[in-house]
Amino acid sequence: MDNKARVYENIFEMMPSEENPTPLVRINRLNSQAGFPLYAKLEWMNPFGSVKDRAAWALLRDLEERGELRNGRGLVEPTSGNTGISLAAMARAHGYRLLAIVPNKVPHEKKVMLKIAGADLEIVSDELCPAPGLGDGSINLAKTHAKASAHRYVMPNQYENEKNVEVHFKTTGPEIWTQTQGRITHLFTSLGTCGTVTGVGRFLREKNPKIKIIAVQPTEGHDVPGLRNVRQLEVSKLFDPSLIDDILEVDFNLAYTRALELCQNEGLFAGPSSGLILEGALQVAARDRSGFGVMIFPDNIFKYTSNMVKHIPELQPQDAKVIIP
Amino acid sequence: MTEYSHPEILVETDWVKQNLGKPGIKLVEVDVDTKAYDAGHIPGAVGFNWQSQLQDQVRRDIISKQEFEKLLSDAGVSPSDSVILYGDNNNWFASYAFWLFKMYGHKDVRLMNGGRVKWLNEADKELTTERPKIAPTQYRAGEPDTSLRVLLPEVLKVQAEKRHNLVDVRSPDEFTGKVIAPPGMTETAQRGGHIPGAKSIPWSTAANADGTFKSADELRKIYLEDKGVDPKKDTIAYCRIGERSSHTWVVLKYLLGLTNVKNYDGSWTEYGSVVGAPIEK
Repeated sequence: MDNKARVYENIFEMMPSEENPTPLVRINRLNSQAGFPLYAKLEWMNPFGSVKDRAAWALLRDLEERGELRNGRGLVEPTSGNTGISLAAMARAHGYRLLAIVPNKVPHEKKVMLKIAGADLEIVSDELCPAPGLGDGSINLAKTHAKASAHRYVMPNQYENEKNVEVHFKTTGPEIWTQTQGRITHLFTSLGTCGTVTGVGRFLREKNPKIKIIAVQPTEGHDVPGLRNVRQLEVSKLFDPSLIDDILEVDFNLAYTRALELCQNEGLFAGPSSGLILEGALQVAARDRSGFGVMIFPDNIFKYTSNMVKHIPELQPQDAKVIIP
Repeated sequence: MTEYSHPEILVETDWVKQNLGKPGIKLVEVDVDTKAYDAGHIPGAVGFNWQSQLQDQVRRDIISKQEFEKLLSDAGVSPSDSVILYGDNNNWFASYAFWLFKMYGHKDVRLMNGGRVKWLNEADKELTTERPKIAPTQYRAGEPDTSLRVLLPEVLKVQAEKRHNLVDVRSPDEFTGKVIAPPGMTETAQRGGHIPGAKSIPWSTAANADGTFKSADELRKIYLEDKGVDPKKDTIAYCRIGERSSHTWVVLKYLLGLTNVKNYDGSWTEYGSVVGAPIEK
């Protein structure tokens, strides 16, 4: 494959690596701290549109290599959308099916995208009153399918599978180190399955133990898809608190307003989780004044138009009135 | 270390595994809806849908004696069977069913400690999508034991007298009235807050991380010492629609052995909508 000419024999050759990294783009108008440049790593430039391409590809390859997908067996996975979209598209391109177990609160666009990508969908109602440690309805339902119908489904389990960490250790981490020529002082990321923060964090710490790993999380009761508040993190076995210097809690409404600012001031069509991360990074830049920050921007705005309108009602277009005489 | 007052109402997952398929033991999975049951259940278990099978579908009420008899007959349950209930959401709906079975006088009904999540996460426990073959019975229930349930007029009276323990098992935000219901719930009330004098003891206080009930000593400390539930007084547990409070009702009545504990199944969706009912925030 030729990354320079960008000619590929199949879509999977586009998957990122140190030789073919996703772009880093500097924040200009929204960051007033000259001594603390902030760069966004645009993970929506992955072939299926989000950071989850990395984990999904690693999980799928691992299942194939271990012979878990023979005899018409498909996959089942709990997902708030992005993992499902990546995994469904990849699985279908390799001839498998994916049953995606999706919480009700996932935005409409993502549910439609999952179907377009070729997933079978099972939508579960949101947790009624979550208790610590009990896990999500979607995770439990996926586990149930994998256990009761093991001949039909295998569950990659992005919440527990070390491959989800390893892929970031092998690709995202080295990409950032090379792209910044080792100048990075702060990494800003959100928490979901924690594959990104744990994998990138481990790699960067090995290179330079002084690098600060900052997790940005929405306040409780949030509706930012894909993210978890630390109190919801017990479901992820990949969360390694020893790697994290600071967890910033940001009002989740800012996820949406900051995302809009990125679209309208930087030309970055970033989704709400990126907006949340930007807010956290701006707070730290204003506090520390000096540094070199890299923010992982997980996906772009296109899947969140209905959530954006919900949080920023002025975005609702006023359609022309049809007057019937 | 003290024992639960009625340890016989609980069975562990290992016990269930050892007793699978034994005559006289009937497993019933109770879920808010039966999607989880359909995806996979304990071999031999029948599935009850809390929304459509355990409540009257016309007026707001528990199912009638006749409906209960039909439900159990169709499920192949005899009055002499040991019924083991388990379910989703940490056994909330199984606890509601437990309360219903007790109301209609079923002699031997028990909960599987930890519910379906515990079974699911144990490597040696099987799940199946196969529905059990059922030999229908002619189940006859008793008249409902109304001493286990409290209705609105008594709640209003009790509230004014202030002689009872009122235990509000909802989340702290529901208790203070910050929210009327957890986000996304369709059943709500007109007003937020709690019944004056109620103690806020969220249902999850009684559960371990794996979904099992905490030990008798821990429960005694939480409910009686820390939260001040007075065992000499009568007690009413309530939540929003009566299923989380069934979980606490089991704790107070059977694990701690309080003498007169009632479940207020009308709960906040009823109380919080009554014109003139006193509310504290």
